[in-house]
Amino acid sequence: MDENGRVILDLEGVTKVYGSGEFAVSALKETNFRVTGGEIVAVMGPSGSGKTTLLTIAGALLRPTSGNVTVCGIDVTRMNEARLAAIRRERIGFVYQSFNLLEALTALENVRIVLHERRNHSGAHAAERAREMLDMFGLSHRINSLPKKMSDGEKQRVAIARALAKDPELILADEPTANLDAKRGREVMELLRQKALELHKAVVVVSHDNRIREFAHRIVWLEDGRLHDHHPEDHRFV
Amino acid sequence: MLLVARKNLFSERTRLAISVGGLALSVFLIGILLSLFRGWSQQVGGFVEHVPADLWVASDGTTDFLAASSALPDALGGKLKFVPEIDVVSPIIVRPMELYKSGDDPNDTFDVQLVGFDPVVGLGGPIEIVSGKKAPGPGEVIIDEETRRRYDVNIGDRIVKGTKSLAVSGIASGGDFIYTQVAFVTIDTAIDFVNLEPKTLRTFILLTLDDPDDRDNLAHRLDVATPGAKYVAPEDFADETRSRILGNILPILIVVLVVAFIVGLSVAGLTIYTATVEKSREYGILKAEGFTNLFLYRVVFEQSLVTGILGFLLGAALTVLVAPFAQDSVPQFVVFVRWQDILGVAGVTLLMALIAAYIPIRRIASIDPVTVFKG
Repeated sequence: MDENGRVILDLEGVTKVYGSGEFAVSALKETNFRVTGGEIVAVMGPSGSGKTTLLTIAGALLRPTSGNVTVCGIDVTRMNEARLAAIRRERIGFVYQSFNLLEALTALENVRIVLHERRNHSGAHAAERAREMLDMFGLSHRINSLPKKMSDGEKQRVAIARALAKDPELILADEPTANLDAKRGREVMELLRQKALELHKAVVVVSHDNRIREFAHRIVWLEDGRLHDHHPEDHRFV
Repeated sequence: MLLVARKNLFSERTRLAISVGGLALSVFLIGILLSLFRGWSQQVGGFVEHVPADLWVASDGTTDFLAASSALPDALGGKLKFVPEIDVVSPIIVRPMELYKSGDDPNDTFDVQLVGFDPVVGLGGPIEIVSGKKAPGPGEVIIDEETRRRYDVNIGDRIVKGTKSLAVSGIASGGDFIYTQVAFVTIDTAIDFVNLEPKTLRTFILLTLDDPDDRDNLAHRLDVATPGAKYVAPEDFADETRSRILGNILPILIVVLVVAFIVGLSVAGLTIYTATVEKSREYGILKAEGFTNLFLYRVVFEQSLVTGILGFLLGAALTVLVAPFAQDSVPQFVVFVRWQDILGVAGVTLLMALIAAYIPIRRIASIDPVTVFKG
């Protein structure tokens, strides 16, 4: 965890309601959530509990119905789409459940592409940085491979390399182990934890996979749109 | 070119080939039709424009050379000789006829526009002699090289109408009107061959002037002074002649051009749209990663533009390569490929690429990046 306790992500009283009138559904209710640099937080909960809504609001992809969202000290709640895109580009790295690599691009190009619109990244520099990241994740031999030629574990490692390549302060991972077997899931989480700690990133992992718990500094439970510091029905989480 | 655009485009080779092929076909059709139109325009107006006359005189109501319904008294030519500003007066007889080559089946006829002129004056005669005599003698005819090519009529052959015939004594160029060609005889041969009654009738009178710059002024004065006759500048007469042939073809040509445009646009539009729909999730990923809509529009537009450029290059090459072969095989297929037209087709292709990218771009704008977090 960040020794100075610098807050990277801060959700204050965030509510998200989908639909309106009698069809209104509250995905998040008055949620407060804070993550500091160097901290790995697992958000757990059953399907439909609001995990993805929390993640996409934290990722500046979705606007809350009420409440405030601050990323790296910047209030993003009422930002326009162009500025939100810039926040995502500069400050946030995403790791997805289904890897979300671009199929026509090689591993190197998939990592390089996210550096495209960043400042201080010329083509050569971006390629060099992408190569370094893939090397860090043991994928040097795969730099010219297309996603369809890679295993699921390799794809997720490329995805994590892509998330870290732009050196974001916040990493948001959505069910990163859901499409991996137990061994590969563990490997990927270990790698994510190790690199996040090394590089001092704030990490939020959303999952309903119990194996995630051992990699997190802190676990929060989301159910019916409400965040709890412990499992509502299981005191082992306290 | 952006990495994503290039990779998306060239990773689906079959789709790219279909897209480029569709556009190339469209460019080829547009290019070849435009060239055909230019070729015909040049050909059908060429003879009238190249006759070295300053004014064409025709009877009122006559619009062009090919209709040749004009009928003027020879005496008008005599009067015009006394006009001081006029240098040369040359009456000609023009009649459309169906002839056949002696020795062939009389039903195997071909069309000629028989022109009777005064070989001593020369005005209204062949534009350029390719072979044989420079001027026809009595009972002789100089045919166009296109007549020779199409109907295998050569110097020494006779061409027949009813009980009368003419001996081919020369071959000229520049008298092709696509569906008919000019054939030159002396004015006396024409009077006899077409059974002209009264024999003093003439179809047109050609004039050259001492001062060609005074042409419009003189034409106006003569219009007033000689009722029943009209005085037309060669370029106007050539335009009217072109309109007679091309005026009927132009609407059909425009319809085919529009169809070719729609075909190209549809093929390019559909392939680019399906490619965009297929890659919707990837565009969503890029949006989630912070890429702006503008960047994504550029990706689609660049794909469309490169497809357009490849289609244009292939289509233009086909036009330039196929046109001469088509012209050799089909005599009526007279094409004239102008670089200005090719440039115009490039503009049309660019327009197709722009329009083809429009709907996919709208689709991208509506992609919600949140969807990439689902499954």
